[in-house]
Amino acid sequence: MSKVSKLTTGITGLVVNQHPHHTLGVLYGKILRTLQKMPESAAYRKYTEQVINERASVLKGTACVETVEKSIGCGQIEEVIVQAENELILARKMLTWKPWEPLTKEAPATQWIWPPAKH
Amino acid sequence: MASILRQLTRTIRSPIVQNRVVASSNGLRFKTTAPAEPKEETRPTVRKFDPAQREQLKDFGQYVAECMPKYVQKVQLTAGDELEVLIAPDGIVPILQFLKDHHNCQFTNLTDIAGMDVPSRQFRFEIIYNMLSVRFNSRIRVKTYTDELTPIDSCNDVYKAANWYEREIWDMYGVFFANHPDLRRILTDYGFEGHPFRRDFPLTGYVEVRYDDEKKRVVIEPLELAQEFRKFELAAPWEQFPNFRNAPAASEEIPIKDEEK
Amino acid sequence: MAQQAVKTLRQVKPLLSLDQGQARSRVLNLYKAWYRQLPYIVHKYDIPKSIGDCKNKLREEFLKHKDLTDVRVIDMLVIKGQMELKETVNIWKQKGHIMTFFKDTEEPKPTDFLSKFLTNTN
Repeated sequence: MSKVSKLTTGITGLVVNQHPHHTLGVLYGKILRTLQKMPESAAYRKYTEQVINERASVLKGTACVETVEKSIGCGQIEEVIVQAENELILARKMLTWKPWEPLTKEAPATQWIWPPAKH
Repeated sequence: MASILRQLTRTIRSPIVQNRVVASSNGLRFKTTAPAEPKEETRPTVRKFDPAQREQLKDFGQYVAECMPKYVQKVQLTAGDELEVLIAPDGIVPILQFLKDHHNCQFTNLTDIAGMDVPSRQFRFEIIYNMLSVRFNSRIRVKTYTDELTPIDSCNDVYKAANWYEREIWDMYGVFFANHPDLRRILTDYGFEGHPFRRDFPLTGYVEVRYDDEKKRVVIEPLELAQEFRKFELAAPWEQFPNFRNAPAASEEIPIKDEEK
Repeated sequence: MAQQAVKTLRQVKPLLSLDQGQARSRVLNLYKAWYRQLPYIVHKYDIPKSIGDCKNKLREEFLKHKDLTDVRVIDMLVIKGQMELKETVNIWKQKGHIMTFFKDTEEPKPTDFLSKFLTNTN
């Protein structure tokens, strides 16, 4: 990186990342590896992989941060990093929750009926 | 290609599905044929909805249900364009975490937690979580159920905002939140007994408070009402509008187990 | 594990305790905690009651619920009792709140005919 493109993100508590490509690359790698441990059929894995792969390919396409931000279209690159961090935490928790399994418990028959006078 | 699609969808208000349309450009779930336009609303007193937004919310509801089939019991649109996800009580933390942290959701703001009491049901309390996605300018509502003695998992680890909201529910309804760091009363007076928002709590309360001149302190005594004020309205409020008993349902269900995927 | 313990009857989510024994020990712990705090409560709130009065009152309050068998109901009462204890010990309450337990301003309800007649109630 030759020069810093900006001094601040304009968001409190979010500092400018000097090496966004490196950070994001590591994070996306970790997310994908976590997703590998889920079953192939899990919808969560499928969609997350899609998002991550798309962003990773955008990232690989160009070294210019502004172009990346524009084509991902989800805020500044630092925000994208935060999103990736959140997704990583979520994916790791998902491994213990296993939300792709069938429904644990049906609601009682009249639970979601509104107005309740109907039964 | 993706950017063109994005330009197209930018004008639409809730762009959650924006990413998903992009995802579908990889050939997954892009419907080329627009769904049939619903009839134009002409009644002047009825709020008009944006059909495109409704479609997106429906899509997103199905998306949540597909990703978390273990917990989602039902998805519905209420009042035309409010998305509700009805879930099993065990799944409250996973669902909220998913809605908060997933790339396509990002509901980072917990607006409110509300409670509702319907004594005729097996699980009489509903706990309602309202969330806002600042990124996608969209709202979602998650509902679950419990009764007086069933604890529900605290979502304080997911949303810090939940701390006081859950204390409020505990105070007003007596629903116990497991793993809450600081569950105590928030609105009622110390020593107050009962939970005021329950349907079986009388409108007048059980006690009255006055200053006692002899004792030089405030005393709390059981309520005594003169006869003419002692009339309690025992009928539930929803029984008093029989005209609305057969009104069209306020919510419409979104099918979540269809083969569309 | 928690759920297996109660599977025999109806499968419910436990509040705190898994069986009667645990619930019992929680109740006893709560009782002891209150008991140990009583002298400080009497002193700090400056209430016109002796420690012995307070002990009797404490016992009475616990014995009110002596017939409960549902573990979850007991747990719920223990939780509320702990909440009360915390409020009391931290001096969040005031004198009036403590004295509410003793009900010293309430006049007993008239029972026989004459007193009912005199107080004009029926």
